[in-house]
This record gives sequence, C-alpha cells and structure tokens, in this order.
Amino acid sequence: MTSPAPHRLDVRPSLAQGQDPFSLIMQAVDGLQPGQPLLLIAPFRPVPLFNVMANRGFSARDRQLPDGGWQVEFTPVAGETVEEGLAPGSAPGAALWPDPARALDLTGLMPPEPMVRILETIDRMTPGEVLFATLDREPMFLFPELAMRHHEWAGNFAADGATYRLLVRRGI
Amino acid sequence: MLGKALSRWTLAWFASAMAFLLAALAMATFGLAGPGRWSEGWALAAVHLFALGWLCQMMLGSLIQFVPVLTARPLILPRLALPALILCGAGTLSLAGGFLALDGWPTGVLLAAGPVLLGLAFGLAMLMLGGTLVATRAWRTQDGSTVLLALLALPVLWVTGAGMGWAFGGIAWGAALLPDGLSLHVLLGAGFWLTLAAMGVSYRLFPMFLIAPDGSSPWRRAALIAAALALALLLAALGVLLAGGDPLPLAVACGLACAFAAGLYLGEIRRIWQSRRAPAPETNMQWSRAALAFLALAALLVAPALILGGPWAEAAVFVALAGWLSTLTLAQMVKITSFLTWIQVFAPLIGRAPVPMVHDLTDARAAGRSLALWVAGVLVGAAALAAQVPALFDIAALVLLLAALLHGHELIAIRRLRHLSETARPAGLPPMILPPSDRRTDHDIPRPASA
Repeated sequence: MTSPAPHRLDVRPSLAQGQDPFSLIMQAVDGLQPGQPLLLIAPFRPVPLFNVMANRGFSARDRQLPDGGWQVEFTPVAGETVEEGLAPGSAPGAALWPDPARALDLTGLMPPEPMVRILETIDRMTPGEVLFATLDREPMFLFPELAMRHHEWAGNFAADGATYRLLVRRGI
Repeated sequence: MLGKALSRWTLAWFASAMAFLLAALAMATFGLAGPGRWSEGWALAAVHLFALGWLCQMMLGSLIQFVPVLTARPLILPRLALPALILCGAGTLSLAGGFLALDGWPTGVLLAAGPVLLGLAFGLAMLMLGGTLVATRAWRTQDGSTVLLALLALPVLWVTGAGMGWAFGGIAWGAALLPDGLSLHVLLGAGFWLTLAAMGVSYRLFPMFLIAPDGSSPWRRAALIAAALALALLLAALGVLLAGGDPLPLAVACGLACAFAAGLYLGEIRRIWQSRRAPAPETNMQWSRAALAFLALAALLVAPALILGGPWAEAAVFVALAGWLSTLTLAQMVKITSFLTWIQVFAPLIGRAPVPMVHDLTDARAAGRSLALWVAGVLVGAAALAAQVPALFDIAALVLLLAALLHGHELIAIRRLRHLSETARPAGLPPMILPPSDRRTDHDIPRPASA
C-alpha cells in the first residue's frame, strides 16, 4: 500500500504579511489523511515545530533550499496511533507520560470555568509535568488553546459516559 | 487563531438575522401585515423576512457553531459557511421582493429566483451540517438524531415553499399545493425544521447552562419517536394533497403527534430544570421559560388551528414563531454572544492576566428588560390576532421592534465589552461581526528576527 502524496504548505506568504503560520499549520495537520506527510516550506528552520509535531506522532526530515528557505517533511510514524478509546487529537504517547503531579475535579462548573482552571494550573507547573482533570463534558474550546501554548493532552469519557477524563502535559 | 472549535462566520449569521428581524418588524409596525391579511404581498414578504431571514438564519448560524460541539469534530467544508450565508440572505430578499408581485408590483424574476437561491443555500448548509453529523454517526446520540431529523425536514420545507412560489409562474404541481398545502408548509418550517433543531441544541445547552446532568433519557427518545411519526404523517398528507385528495385528517393527526412530541420535550426540560445544580439560573435561562410556555401554548393551538383556521391559525403560528422560537433565540443569543466574545478575547489571556467571568460581559438587567418587552409584545400580538384587531397588532409590532432594538443594543455592548471597567478591557478588540485575521500578537511561536 502506498501512502498518499504529501500535503504541501508554504507559509512564507502569510509570514511576509505578518501573520502567525501556526494556526495554518495546525489546520493543515488536522486535514491530513491517515499516513499522509506534510511538506512544510518556511523561510527559517522551524525548530519549535519539531517538538509539537513529534508529540503528534510525526517524524521530521529537513533540508535547506537553494533560496535560503527550509523544507521540512513531517511524516506520520507508523504505529504512533492514538490509543483505542481516546478522543481524536489526543497525544499518541500519553500512556508513557509520568503520573499526574496535580489533579482537579472540575465537575459541576459552568463552561468556561473548567478551561480557566486548567490553563491557570498548567501554566504554573513545570515542563513535562502532567495534570489530571475530570469534567462534565469534552472541553472543545480548551483544545485549540492547549495547542497554541504547546501543551499536549489526551482525554476520553469514562465508561458511564458522565465524566470526561483529561490528561494535560505541560509543554516547554 | 480562533481555533477549530469556533466557527468564523457565526456572528455574521447573527448580525444578518438581526437585520432581517428589524426589517420584518418595521414592516409590520407600518401596517403592512396584520390580522386577516396574510395572503397579501407585503404581509407574505414580512413573514418570510421573519421566518427565513431572522429565524432560519439564526438557526443555521447556530448549528454551524453547535454541530462541531455536538459531534466533537470540526465541521466538514467550513468554507461553505460564507457562501451559504450570502445565498440565504439574497434568496430571502429575492423571495420577499417577489411576493410584492401579488400586490401588482413589477418584480420580474424575483419570485422565481428566490427559491433557487434558497435551495442552493440550504444545500450548502446540509452538506456542512448533515455531512458532519453523518460522518460522525451522530444518529447514535439523541441530540444528534433530533438535529438530523430537523435537517431532513428542511428540503421538504423547501419543496413546498418553492412549489407554492412557482405556482404563480404556472408550475402545475406547485398549484396543487395551494391553498391546502400552506398549513403543511408552516408546520414543516415552524414545527419540524426550527423546533426540532431548537430541541436538539437545547438538549446540550440547557444542562450546560443549568449545571445539570447531561445525557440521554427516555423522554428524549419518546419525543424523537413522536416527531418522526409526525413527520411521516406530514409526508403522507403531502402525498395525498398532491394526488388530489383531502389532506386534513392526516394533517390533524400530524399536528396531534407534534403536540405530543412538544409535551414530551417539555417534560424532559422540566426534568433537566429540576436536577440543576446552578443556584440561580441566568437571564438566558430565566427567559427561556417564557419561550417554553409559548411552546406549550402553540402545541395546544395546533389542532384548533388546523381544523378551524382563521384567527386560531394566525394566533398559533404567531405564538410559535414570535413566542416560542424568537424568545428562545433572543434569550440564548445573549449568553452565546458573550461566551463567544469571551473565548475570542480572554481565552489567550488565561493564566497570564486577570480575566473576567463570562457573565460580567452582559448587563443582565438590560437583557432582561428587552426580553420582558419582547414577551409583552408577543402576548399583545397574539391577542390582536385572536381577536382580529389590526390596530392592536400594529402596537404589538411596535413593542416588538423596540424590544429588538434594545436587545441589539445590548448585543453590541457585549461585543464591545462595554460592561467591563476600563482596566479590564483589552486594548485591541476583535471585529464586531467579521472574523478576525489569524494575526497573533501575544503568544506566537518563537520566531527568529529574520522572519
């Protein structure tokens, strides 16, 4: 079976307009087919992105272009799939994370209060530490904010469907 | 970045819908619509500005925001949101303009073109919403299947509306829909498409706003089965009508099934309300109770409206559209607008600066005043239609117009963070209606100076 052709994304025009390409890149990653690589063209070597993409299960191979720009091919690593039963967007390696350093019970709070408490807590923790939280519902508005801050998360509903369990690992 | 959880065009749908609401109410205030005159051109134009421009656009805009939350997945084809909005607005204007041909105005192809534009708009909306719901197999959940059933009614609503519109241009099957198909068209729009969608959305939003246990319940399943049965009866009535028969017995059976479904829905909401943990429900929920009372009244009026027609039908449709659906929409708009504004402005600041609470963005008393005025206007308007007093209906329309203007003023204040103190208000605010650019200033990824 051949993997799909890479999705090419040149972020130089949006950077030239002073825009942050991070959201563009994350949108492109969300839109990839299973097994499809992302071919990123940037005016500099996007070092911070390597970590973000590694956490999402992509390996990186980069080379400098003749015009001084950089081309990075992010390829999904076979086997680095989200564990069965975890919500899409969950970090693939969550099973190997350290035990949670903090736990929050956020049930019975009206949104966006759980989001406020999680972000305030995780931003005070040290990089690599893990926060565990229980919520009444999947915190849809929290996930983009976690990605923007380079934190990883993994979550799912408990078997009874009433409680959402969330692990957040502090990024760098 | 707004994040994939926030639809870019939600506020544009809301703003467009508010503009149509004000236009419809202004027309009614000027006496262009009223008791016993609903088949005149201006009145039909006002009704469709209200039903399509205001209620239908609010519902589509809300679903584009809500379906990703319901399915926990991004919307498929989100780029269709803007073309759908433009086509829906243009189609509504074209149809409303086209109805003036009934009053002798030279309106050209407007009446023929309106349904085409609206059909395209609904098609795009169905692709996004139906596509996302089907791709995530949302029929397995009760709120998802309720919204899917609402979406199933939308093309049937369109067929009946387009048929009647085109009947004036000599389309034979369309002419067969007049006049008895009108009640089926109104049931499809107010009873199925808009009410079922509102039910599906409220199953998820009400427990969130009341801090009550979420999840499936036997009431929801029973309401869904009753609504599906009612839709089957309505399709049968439509078939009988097109075949030249009398659809009334099936239509009345459908109306009774609708009323039963509404009763089950109200039972479910009562259950949610009683299991709430929120000590004091906020303005949006307080005034949603008035909307629910109007739903109960509309459900009681369905059978007399279908059998007796006349003032009964006029009052029933008004209570459903202006009472139930509009009061609910206006009440929840306050909460949804302040929530989306809060997410846009303050989510990036959490943990880095003090952030206000979502309800700090709203003046609950101002919102409560405009909603109270709205409900008073609906009561007066329903009485004017029941008693067939045109002057009283004009006064009701003026009260509703004032209420909508006050409500719009409060929504603008929420978007501009006017209820926050000077110090709590960030310097740069997002655009009032249009989506913000992706430019970020506060926490970009690290970038070399050369970039």
